[in-house]
Amino acid sequence: MPIEVRNLTHTYMKGTTSEVTAISGIDFRVDDGEFIGLIGATGSGKSTLIQHLNGLLRPTAGNVIVDGVDIWSKGVSLKQIRRKIGLVFQYPEQQVFEETVYDDIAFGPRNLGFSQTETEERVKKACTLVGLDRDLLSRSPFELSGGQVRRVAIAGILAIQPKVLILDEPTAGLDPKGRAEILDNIKQLHESGMTVILVSHNMDDVARLCERVMVLDRGKLVADGPAREVFSQREFLESMKLKPPEVTVLMEKLRKRGWAVRNDVLTVEEAHAEIVKELRRKGVAGAV
Amino acid sequence: MISGGILVGQYYPVRSFVHSLDPRAKILISIIFMAILFVGNNFYAFAVTGTFAVLAVTLSRIPWKVLIRGLRPIVFIMSFTILLHLFLTPGHAIFQIGPLKATLPGLIQGLFIALRLIILIIFTSLLTLTTSPIELTDGLEDILKPFSRIGVPAHEIAMMMTIALRFIPTLLEEADRIMKAQMARGADFESGNMFQRAKSLVPLLVPLFVSAFRRADELAMAMEARCYRGGEGRTRMRQLSLSAKDYYALGLTIVMSALVVYTRVRFGPVIPRGTV
Ligand SMILES: Nc1ncnc2c1ncn2[C@@H]1O[C@H](COP(=O)(O)OP(=O)(O)OP(=O)(O)O)[C@@H](O)[C@H]1O
Ligand SMILES: [Mg+2]
Repeated sequence: MPIEVRNLTHTYMKGTTSEVTAISGIDFRVDDGEFIGLIGATGSGKSTLIQHLNGLLRPTAGNVIVDGVDIWSKGVSLKQIRRKIGLVFQYPEQQVFEETVYDDIAFGPRNLGFSQTETEERVKKACTLVGLDRDLLSRSPFELSGGQVRRVAIAGILAIQPKVLILDEPTAGLDPKGRAEILDNIKQLHESGMTVILVSHNMDDVARLCERVMVLDRGKLVADGPAREVFSQREFLESMKLKPPEVTVLMEKLRKRGWAVRNDVLTVEEAHAEIVKELRRKGVAGAV
Repeated sequence: MISGGILVGQYYPVRSFVHSLDPRAKILISIIFMAILFVGNNFYAFAVTGTFAVLAVTLSRIPWKVLIRGLRPIVFIMSFTILLHLFLTPGHAIFQIGPLKATLPGLIQGLFIALRLIILIIFTSLLTLTTSPIELTDGLEDILKPFSRIGVPAHEIAMMMTIALRFIPTLLEEADRIMKAQMARGADFESGNMFQRAKSLVPLLVPLFVSAFRRADELAMAMEARCYRGGEGRTRMRQLSLSAKDYYALGLTIVMSALVVYTRVRFGPVIPRGTV
């Protein structure tokens, strides 16, 4: 299910004085099994960009090509595209509406015409994937906690069983534990073969999870490459009102003090290994 | 855009002569225009009011496309009115369907009323298209103020309108977002028969109401936290002031009104009494 974006431009409210060109001239390609992090300052156009990938927004100019077919050419069923490319919106808990959690998760599969048994199977599977307690299925979604509703909303997309999963800030407003759990679920989904695009303001999370990082700045794609390369460019990121992950910053500080450590580490574990190695080399007694 | 097509209460932000008029002048002109539209009782009057409306639209720099799109919801009512007049007005028959007799005076009368409706809708939507909601309610409050002595709660009415108008774009935006979120789950808002379509609105309306109530609650609290306690003694940041162009516009409106009154006196009703 490769997705190709060519020269994509979107202008909101075209033709009025309040017209905003949210993204312009964007080109990239997403291949099967990738885990991509999409970062950028507030208002840089991340949400606008991802809404093009499953045909929720129509490009002002440019093309979105899924599996070799332009999704806006005649005869393409957008419903089928949305079945393959699942998009979890920012604050997805605002979209729940059914009387029970079960019905809300089943909304997608039912719209796509699956039988009752198939739907039930999909709902149960989606619950397992997001770690949602089955006892909650008969409750009203409006009685659940913030983190639980977030899971319900994500499960609602997973129940469609898309090949590509796009998440717009799935952890915004959650407590650290809830955040870690949801990210863990996403990681497992990727390991089971799903293509994942994660929009996030949290550089630590993106660094830890994503293999490839794309940076948007005022509607333009200004960087696209392996996470290690993108995150080791501190000055560039700061000019985009972003900053590298904490551990990367720490490594840079150590290097300034003359430590021979790498500056492109992305996780706490990697940083730990680097520091221990350097301490050993320096012959510091008791280094673990 | 999915939420497009809803005109009333939607400001169309371009710079123009009409946009720059004082809201009070615009409200006043609209009221006079509406009254005079009903004073006019023949097609000569339409020549005058129609010219005035076309002039206003041209000066507002709002594309005709936008205004005509706003007429779409009344097409049904309009056709119904024309048919009703066509068949129910007594007079000389031009053709007949079964027991129904279409008459010439009926046709004229029907077209007359439809035309009046079109001009009315175009002109009144011009008011909200060229005046931002804040200006509109400020203007309204000023116009209503003299009536507060006889118990009209001018400030409260204006505040209620401000809040309602302020939240129309927010709600539309929210509706747009929820709609897209449900479409991502395979929801279909565009096909099916009437019953299916009504049912497909549930996934949109429930979340929309939930959030509207939450917003109302939060807004009330935020207003109280900032010591809002009604209109008494409140001053305004932007003071309204009439300028030369407002007087020109009002003057032109009065000239137009006089002309319409003249056509009424000079030519009489579109279907003279006693001819049927
Ligand atoms: N429905 C809309 N109508 C008009 N303008 C919009 C709309 N949605 C977004 N915009 C504008 O487009 C630009 C990009 O917005 P977008 O929501 O894509 O940014 P973002 O990167 O997702 O930001 P955030 O990190 O705050 O979510 C902004 O300037 C925004 O004001
Ligand atoms: Mg966003």
